Amino acid sequence: MPSEARPSALRRLLADPLGRFGLALVLVILITAIFAGAIAPYSPSAIAIPDRLQAPSFAHLFGTDQLGRDVFSRVVLGARIALEVALVAIALALAAGGALGLAAGYGPRWLDSILVLVFDTIRSFPTIMFALALVTLIGPSLETVIVIVVATFAPGYGRIVRAQTQALKHAEFILAERSLGAGAARILAVHVVPNIVGPLFILASMDIPVVITIEAGLSFLGFGVRPPTPSWGTVLNDGYAFIGNTPWIIVAGGLPLVLSTLGFTFLGEALRDAIDPRLRKEI
Amino acid sequence: MHRLHLTRRDFIGGSTGLWVAAALAPRAAQAQGTSVLRVRSYSDIQDFDPAFSKAAPDGDVARCVFRQLITYKSSASWEWRLDAAEKIDQVDPKTVAFTLKPGIKWTNGFGEMTAEDVKFSFERVADPAVKSPYKGDWATLDHVEVTGPLSGVIHLKEPFAPLWLSTLPWTAGTILCKKAMEASGNRFTTSPPAMCGAYLLKEWRPKQETVLVRNPDYNGPRPAYDEIRIHPIEDEKTAEIGFGAKELDFTGTSVSSLPKLMKDPPAGSKVEVHPSLAYVWLGMNVDVPPFNDIRLRKAVQKAVDVEAILQAAYFGAADRATGIIAPGLLGHRDIKAPPRDLAGAKKLMAEAGKSGGGVKATLAILNKTERLTAAQVIQANFAEFGIEVQIDAHDSGTFWSLGDQSKGDQWKQLHMILQRYTMAPDPSWAVAWFLPSQIGIWNWERWNSTEFDQLNTKALVETDTKKRGEMYVRMQDLMEESGAYVFLTHEVAGVMYRDTVAPALMPDGRVILPGFAPKA
Amino acid sequence: MLLFALRRAGLACAIIFCAIALLFGMIYLVPGDPASVALGPLATPEIKAAFRVRMGLDRPVIMQFLIFLGHVFTGDLGIDLFSNRRVTEIVFEAMPYTVALTACGIGWAIGLGIPLGCWSAIRRNTWLDRITGVLAVAAIAVPSFVVALYALLLFAVELNWFPAIGAGTRGDLGDQLAHLVLPSFAIGLGWVGYLARLVRASMLEVLGENHIRTARAYGLPERRIVFRYALRLAVLPTVALLGVGIGHLLSGAVFAEIVFARPGAGKLVFDAVVTRNFPVVSGAVLVTTALFTLCTLAADLLIAWLDPRVRADL
Repeated sequence: MPSEARPSALRRLLADPLGRFGLALVLVILITAIFAGAIAPYSPSAIAIPDRLQAPSFAHLFGTDQLGRDVFSRVVLGARIALEVALVAIALALAAGGALGLAAGYGPRWLDSILVLVFDTIRSFPTIMFALALVTLIGPSLETVIVIVVATFAPGYGRIVRAQTQALKHAEFILAERSLGAGAARILAVHVVPNIVGPLFILASMDIPVVITIEAGLSFLGFGVRPPTPSWGTVLNDGYAFIGNTPWIIVAGGLPLVLSTLGFTFLGEALRDAIDPRLRKEI
Repeated sequence: MHRLHLTRRDFIGGSTGLWVAAALAPRAAQAQGTSVLRVRSYSDIQDFDPAFSKAAPDGDVARCVFRQLITYKSSASWEWRLDAAEKIDQVDPKTVAFTLKPGIKWTNGFGEMTAEDVKFSFERVADPAVKSPYKGDWATLDHVEVTGPLSGVIHLKEPFAPLWLSTLPWTAGTILCKKAMEASGNRFTTSPPAMCGAYLLKEWRPKQETVLVRNPDYNGPRPAYDEIRIHPIEDEKTAEIGFGAKELDFTGTSVSSLPKLMKDPPAGSKVEVHPSLAYVWLGMNVDVPPFNDIRLRKAVQKAVDVEAILQAAYFGAADRATGIIAPGLLGHRDIKAPPRDLAGAKKLMAEAGKSGGGVKATLAILNKTERLTAAQVIQANFAEFGIEVQIDAHDSGTFWSLGDQSKGDQWKQLHMILQRYTMAPDPSWAVAWFLPSQIGIWNWERWNSTEFDQLNTKALVETDTKKRGEMYVRMQDLMEESGAYVFLTHEVAGVMYRDTVAPALMPDGRVILPGFAPKA
Repeated sequence: MLLFALRRAGLACAIIFCAIALLFGMIYLVPGDPASVALGPLATPEIKAAFRVRMGLDRPVIMQFLIFLGHVFTGDLGIDLFSNRRVTEIVFEAMPYTVALTACGIGWAIGLGIPLGCWSAIRRNTWLDRITGVLAVAAIAVPSFVVALYALLLFAVELNWFPAIGAGTRGDLGDQLAHLVLPSFAIGLGWVGYLARLVRASMLEVLGENHIRTARAYGLPERRIVFRYALRLAVLPTVALLGVGIGHLLSGAVFAEIVFARPGAGKLVFDAVVTRNFPVVSGAVLVTTALFTLCTLAADLLIAWLDPRVRADL
């Protein structure tokens, strides 16, 4: 009978081919984002009208857009923007949703009812109206996109955290702590949060590409970031507008979106399976 | 028990059935012996009551179901022909006498068109109580005198030069049935109480199609198509795709598609480019920094690379504008535009003490593709001589209120605007928005010129065409001298239609639907 | 169960109320006016002021809100500012198109997604499973307006299999179904991916459980096990997902409606918002929020009925 320990989480992750695939993609995207300045051959806003709308070539790996800008450089810089927006937005959404979810799950019944009402109202509100209101009030920018994403995701996270907290609330060890006189803050911080954090992070990591898709959708509807910011959504939208002239821009904009979704989704699922397969049931 | 297979096969079988059905369904109604014209409009009809008509598609339908004394010919220049009028003469600068053709029947039993209808229609638009946005077209109307059942005289308080070019043949010259309007509250939006035009509105399915059918009682030149179906499609790309899928016979095209379409039109169709009446310019707010300094404004005029903007945004299809009045119209400013002078711009910046950089300005645009492209070129141009531009793309709701003083102080944040207005073929429509009285309303540059104002007043009543033209040229000179305006282009209008259709178009590509005919 | 249902219904009403209150707050804050949008420079200050009065914007926000609510109970959602038609008529004219589009999108999702997920679960960890997994996630990744555009270009223009624009002739069911195929595919494709992954995951879980192993040990045919036992249990999370997803499908419909020039509630809200036609915005948001809340309510009730453990909390 072998006495070695179970293979580590990392080992299990790497054993799964899709996990390897996901990890590789995420690493590529991370490296691209971090070293964007060095990787991009041209400035993403360098206009060169005579070279407009060219197909991919050695000089321009993804071709040029309607202003002669190098699409590859724009996509590379876009990776940085995409990750920045996604990470900040999801972190904020987790913080906001998580805090409210804890309050809802652990707190008194009336607070719970109010918070659930808030969550569901925001979730049922049409994003377009909300996006428009924000864009006209605070202007089109990455900050606005972040706020919209936070508003879109926070209720969802809040609901999940609430459900987990409620389940834990009645667990024996919590009851024991309470009978010993431990305060709510201590219980939450020491017992509840650590149990929730793991699965929540994994779920959130799979939402990263969704954030990028939301930005693309907003751009399509005209609520995107200020030009000449090279977000992937802007590149996609330019590609859509000029589809009659060249198909390459939309491919260049769509490809990183697909790859990042593949990467984060498979990595997330493999992580979840590797860390604790039982989590599959809950998330 | 192969539920899986069943599901898949069922589905595939079902969808096959669907597309076969679609393929067999008669797409063109040619199969039934009715000739149908399928046209795209860029927006759905909302309100084609002539006193309140909203957008061009409303006017297009009004032109089908109503008549005017005179109307535009389908030709390359803005000329009119008689429509409901048998005779019409300018008796003297303040008087126009007309006689209607007999036998123009209204629908719904309202009898025939009389001079009373003409009087009612024109005075209605001019009536301040009606609050028509087109009131200005009849600004000098005194009254319409009815001298007989079919004849009348239009009396003006003062001579009104735009009368023949943009009042009578345009929206404000549409004739409505007095009895029908009075019987139905004097207002309609999409269901007129009585029609008399070449076509009748048969059905309006909002956001899907407007169906017009031939009017059997029409006594004018018989329109060729039995039925016209107008499909509102906002997105130009969708319209072009719909045309390519043979679901439309006529559509406008987007500017970016024009080069490709002209080189390689879809099978069995023609693509044409028409000059547009629109005028696009870059305006600067003269009341707030940084452009309250005329040196900076002049620097901008020198440094904007208009040719590059035209190449980028309009694919070279549009020409540079020298003013706000397009070529071919009275008052067109026929000068050679100066080339870009970056050195001169930098010198002016130095004179103003701003050569160290740090000048920031916002550029407000409507969030359309051409404007976005143009704005980004402008942004790059400005960087070359030391102004950092922030582009603010707005949706139409916000954009059209940006310079509006009554809405608060947001006009103070408006530094530059890339703006586009359209007009009717008379030059008075172009200059109306730059008057001092429009500051804080539609004069968002807030340019205050007394001479401009005086010229405008004189030109409205000047009957000598040559003198009038010179006045409008001088007005555009003044605009340029103020430094607040950089004239960019008049754009172009692209249209695409099947070989089997002979369209009737105004010089700017707008449709005259009753004039369309099938071609063998 | 009844108590649960009543509580959920009460919550649904509260949600609708709050959503409309939020909307009115936004209308009050957001700049822009419909007169300028409609008429451009022809809009004089008097005309703009007249529009404001017609929209009731000269009254305090609370008053506007209460008046709106009062009218809603009599079935009057207001008057469209530009065409003077009743908003109720406009919204209920557009809704069936979006509902049909959403339903067909779900149809694609169920029709393709569930079989794919099932199949992947049965053939887990083979290369076929992995490729299906990659395709499923890729399907989720591509934005719906891109799918719409390519579907349009390929199937409508190149191949001419399906019509390109509009919703089809009224009364002609076949024509309308033909016009639904491509747009619903565009919005449903992402859901095909989601459902495929979800069904696969649920089935794998169920297939690993004790009673399944017992059934296998007794020699029941694999196919019977999959369909009789596993698939049924996998349906539960599917229902949950669809309940939540309907709201997103409704707002996702706007992309397909724009690209295919279809009438529908998504485009209605978008156009109305951009032109500041606020009576239409209020009416349409009310109806779509109500619909969304009803769908989630129905989904929640269905889940609670199927799984009693859920009933403990709201």
